[in-house]
Amino acid sequence: MSSFTAPVASDALLETLQKAAAAADADAVEIALLGRAGEYTRFAGGRIHQPQNITETQFTVRAIVNGHPARSACGTLDGLASAVSRAAVLARELAARAASPGHAAVASAGLAAASSPDSSVWYEETEAFDAGARASLAASAMRQNAGAAGMFGRAVTQMAVVNSAGVARHTLATEASGSLTATVDEGTSHWIDLHRSASALGVEQAIERTVREATAGRGRGPLADGHYTVVLGPQAAGELIGFLPDFGFAGELAAAGVGLLATPGPGTPVAAPMVTVADDATAAAGLPIGFDLEGTPKSRVALLDAGRVGAAVTDLTTARALGTASTGHAHVAREEPPRPVAANLRLEPGDQTEAELIAGVERGVYVQRFWYTRLVDRVTGTITGVSRDGCFLIENGRLGAPVAGARFTHSVLDLLSTVDGLGRDLRSQPVMNVWNGAATAPALRGHNFRFGAAR
Amino acid sequence: MSAHDWGSLADSSSAREILDSALGVVAGAADFADVRLIEAEEMRSYVSLGGDPDERIEQNIGIGVRVLVDGQWGFAARPLASTADAAVAARDAHASAVALAGRGKPVSLPPREPSSGSYATSVGEDPFSVPTARRYELLADWLAAASAPAEVAAVQAGINAKRQHRHYADTEGSRQHQHFVETGAMVLVTARGHGDVQRRSYPNSFHGNTAAAGWEYLSSLSMAEQAARVGEEAVMLLTAPVAAPGRADVVIGPQQVSLQIHESSGHALELDRILGDEANYAGTSFIRPSDIGSLRYGSDAVTITSDPTVPGTRGSFAFDDEGTPARAFNLIDRGIVRNTLSNRDSAARSGQTLTGAARSDGWGYLPVCFATHVFLQPGQGSLDDLLQRMGDGYYIDDNRSWSIDNQRLNFQFGTEVAYEVKGGRRGRLLKNFSYGGITPQFWGSVEAVAGPSEFRSYGYPCGKGEPKQWGFLSHGASPMLVRDLRIGVA
Repeated sequence: MSSFTAPVASDALLETLQKAAAAADADAVEIALLGRAGEYTRFAGGRIHQPQNITETQFTVRAIVNGHPARSACGTLDGLASAVSRAAVLARELAARAASPGHAAVASAGLAAASSPDSSVWYEETEAFDAGARASLAASAMRQNAGAAGMFGRAVTQMAVVNSAGVARHTLATEASGSLTATVDEGTSHWIDLHRSASALGVEQAIERTVREATAGRGRGPLADGHYTVVLGPQAAGELIGFLPDFGFAGELAAAGVGLLATPGPGTPVAAPMVTVADDATAAAGLPIGFDLEGTPKSRVALLDAGRVGAAVTDLTTARALGTASTGHAHVAREEPPRPVAANLRLEPGDQTEAELIAGVERGVYVQRFWYTRLVDRVTGTITGVSRDGCFLIENGRLGAPVAGARFTHSVLDLLSTVDGLGRDLRSQPVMNVWNGAATAPALRGHNFRFGAAR
Repeated sequence: MSAHDWGSLADSSSAREILDSALGVVAGAADFADVRLIEAEEMRSYVSLGGDPDERIEQNIGIGVRVLVDGQWGFAARPLASTADAAVAARDAHASAVALAGRGKPVSLPPREPSSGSYATSVGEDPFSVPTARRYELLADWLAAASAPAEVAAVQAGINAKRQHRHYADTEGSRQHQHFVETGAMVLVTARGHGDVQRRSYPNSFHGNTAAAGWEYLSSLSMAEQAARVGEEAVMLLTAPVAAPGRADVVIGPQQVSLQIHESSGHALELDRILGDEANYAGTSFIRPSDIGSLRYGSDAVTITSDPTVPGTRGSFAFDDEGTPARAFNLIDRGIVRNTLSNRDSAARSGQTLTGAARSDGWGYLPVCFATHVFLQPGQGSLDDLLQRMGDGYYIDDNRSWSIDNQRLNFQFGTEVAYEVKGGRRGRLLKNFSYGGITPQFWGSVEAVAGPSEFRSYGYPCGKGEPKQWGFLSHGASPMLVRDLRIGVA
C-alpha cells in the first residue's frame, strides 16, 4: 500500500532538474514536474466497487530558441534527458524556419512567492485518511438506510519548476477529497468538498447531513417555470463562479478583446458590491499552490472586486500581449492549446448562516447543486444547466416542499448583480479539466433567477 | 526496455515479460487479475493569431494492475521506469483488495474464454514522420485563411497525432497487443463586433476532429478551404438574425447529431450508469435493466449501433480494456432498446449481454463503460432530399453549447449555425440557435435519416469516472429530420 510520500523522491530533485536544464542546447529552458500519488475509495450499490491507488508523474520541458518555444514531456526522471533534447531540437526547428524572432521567454528568478506554500499545503492529518478510514466512512454512508454513492480520497501532490534563469521551486501538498450522493426513495442529496486537510472536510457530519437531506427530499414535485429568489448552496454557488474566467477574465480572451475586461472594462460595476471573486493561491481553502508551471509566483487576482470588473489571470504569453506581468496562471490541458487558467477561485464569504439566508426569503427556491452547466452566451454571461439533488421551495423563510430538478438558462452576471446575502461557510469543488484546480464558495442569495424547462 | 524512446513496447515479447512479472506477483493469490501496459506518445502543434507556435510532444509509459480477491477489487497504477514497477503495482493492487476483505457485496465474474491476438490501425502515412516544416506550412495557411476577415479576433489552428502500444494480459490466459495511431486537425475562429462575439469551428467543435488514421486523414479535410469558410461565417454571424422561438421542423446536421447521440443515447445506455455506479459523478440513466428489449426509445427511423471495429474512427479497437473482443451490437433497433454498453462487472451483476465497452484513459485508470462508437444508422437519400421532405424549417449544425440532466432526459443544445429553410431550400444564416427536449420524445420525432453518402463520424474525448478520466471514442450519423422540435429555448 502507499506510504503517502512524494511521487518523486524530493531529495536533490531540484538539483537533478537543474542539471537536466543546463544540458539543453537551447537559449532557455524550463522543466516542470506535475505529480500526484493518490488513493481513492469509490463506492456505490453497497460495495466499494473501485478502490484505486494511482501514481502519475509528468515532466514537461519547454525549450526556447530565438524566442520560439517547444515542449516535450515524459513520465519518469530517467526519460528527462531525452525529453530535454527533444524539446530543444523542436525549438531549433521552429526557430530555423521562422522569418523573425519569437517572443517566448522563461520566468525571471527573484520574484517572491505571494504566499508560503510549503507551510500551508501540508497537513499531517491527511495521512490518517487512509484506506481503512475511507472504507469505514464508505460503509457508514452505505449503512444509513439510504442509497449511497461517492468517493473519498487522499493524495500527495508534487510540483517543481526550474528554469535556466535560476528559478527553482518545489512543493509537496496534501490533498483530501470527499463526495457523496445519498438517495432515499426519489429524494437525493449531494455533498462534495476538497481541502489540503482531511480534517477540514468533516466527513462524518457530511454523511449524516446528506442522508438527512435526502430523506427530506422524498416526495418532491415539479418546479413551475418562472423567476425566483434563490438561495444557492455552496456547491451551486461555486459552480457559477467557475464560469467567470469565460467572461473575459482569462488572459487569452482579454488579449483578444473579448469579454468584460474589454467591454465595459476594469472598474465597471457588474455585480453586487458584496461580491468579490478572486483566484487566490494564498487562501487556505481549495487546492492552493503558490506558483505555476512556468515557475511564476501566483498573485491574488480579483476577477470581481467588490462587484466591479477586476483583472485577468495570465501566463507569460498572455501577459506579454496585454503589456503586464504574468499573474502565475500558466496551464497546459489535455486536448487544448496552452492557456492561463484560474486554479483556485474563491467567492469571498459573508457572515450569515445558510439558515439566515433562507430566513430572508418569503417565497423562493433553495438549490443545493447544479448539474451539467454550460456556457450559452459569452457576452451576456448566460449559462444553461439543471438543478439537481436537495432542492426545496422556500416558504416564509423556511425550507418547504422538495422540488425536482429543473432546467434553467440564466445570466451568471445578472444573478451576481442581485446578490444581497453571502454565507460564511465555504465548500470547494474541482474545476473541470484543470490540474489541481478548485473553486470555493459560500452559499449566496440572489433574485429573479429564471427556471424554465425545455418541453 | 528503454522507457524514454518511443517504441520500447513495440515488441510483444518484451512487453510479455513485464506483464507476466506483474501477474506472477498475484498468481495463486487472486481470483482474477489483469494487467494493462501502455506506451503512448502524443504530438500537438498549435498556432494562434499573434502568438508563437506551440509544439508539444508527450510520452508516457506505465502499468495498471487490477485484481479480484475474495470478491473485492484492488487496482494500482504507476509509471514504468523499470520492470520492477510492474511488481510494485501488482503488490499494491493486491494489498488494496485484501484490505477490503469482508467489506461490501462480493463480485463474481462469470468465466470467459481467453482471447489473444493483435490489432493495428491502418495507416497510410505515419503522422510522426511528417517534418515540422510541413506541419507549420499547413497551419500558417489555415491561420491566414481563417483570419482574413477584419472582424476575426482570434484563431486557433492545430494538428495532433497520437500513437500507443497497449498490451493486455490476464490470469485467464488472454494476451493482446494493440497499436493505435490517431491523427487530427482543428481550426477555431472567434469573431468580435457589433456588440457580439461568435464562434465557428471545423471539422468538429470539440477540439477539432481526430480519426484512427495516418496523415492521409488531413488530406481529406480540405482544411484551408474550410478554414476560410468558417472565418467568413463567424463574421457573418455577428449580424445574423435569430430564429423566432416556438416549435419547428428541423434537419440536424451530422456533427450536432453525433453529440446528441453521445449525450442522450450513448451515455444513457452505459450499463454501469444504469446500475447506479456513476450516481455520484457522471450520473445515472432513465433506462432501467428491465427496459432492455421492450422500451420504445425512438421512432422506427432510429436504429443505433455500437461498433468499435469500424475502421478509421477515433478509438477503434479489437479488444476493449479488459480484454473482451470487440463486435457490433444493435443498441436501439427501429426505436426499441435492445442492448446496453457493458463491461464484465456490470454484465455479471445484471445478467445483461457483455458488449465489450470497458475503456480507460491509459494505464492510470480503471476501465469503465464508455459510449464507444455509437452510430445512428443511415436511412436513404441525400441531404437535399431531406430538406425537400421537410419543406419549411431550419437546417442546423456544429455544436455551440450542450447540457443534459442526470438521467439523460432533459436536454438543451445550441448550434454554431442555423439556416432558414423554405420550400426545401436553404436561405438566411441565423445565429444563437437553440433547441430542447426530452430524450424519448425527441428521438420519437425523428421522421427520416439521410443515406450513407451523407454519413460523417466524429471523434470525441469524454469524461467519466472518479478520479475523472478521458475516454476517446466516436459517434457518427447522417443528417436527420425532426418534426415539431421546441426551438429558441435559450
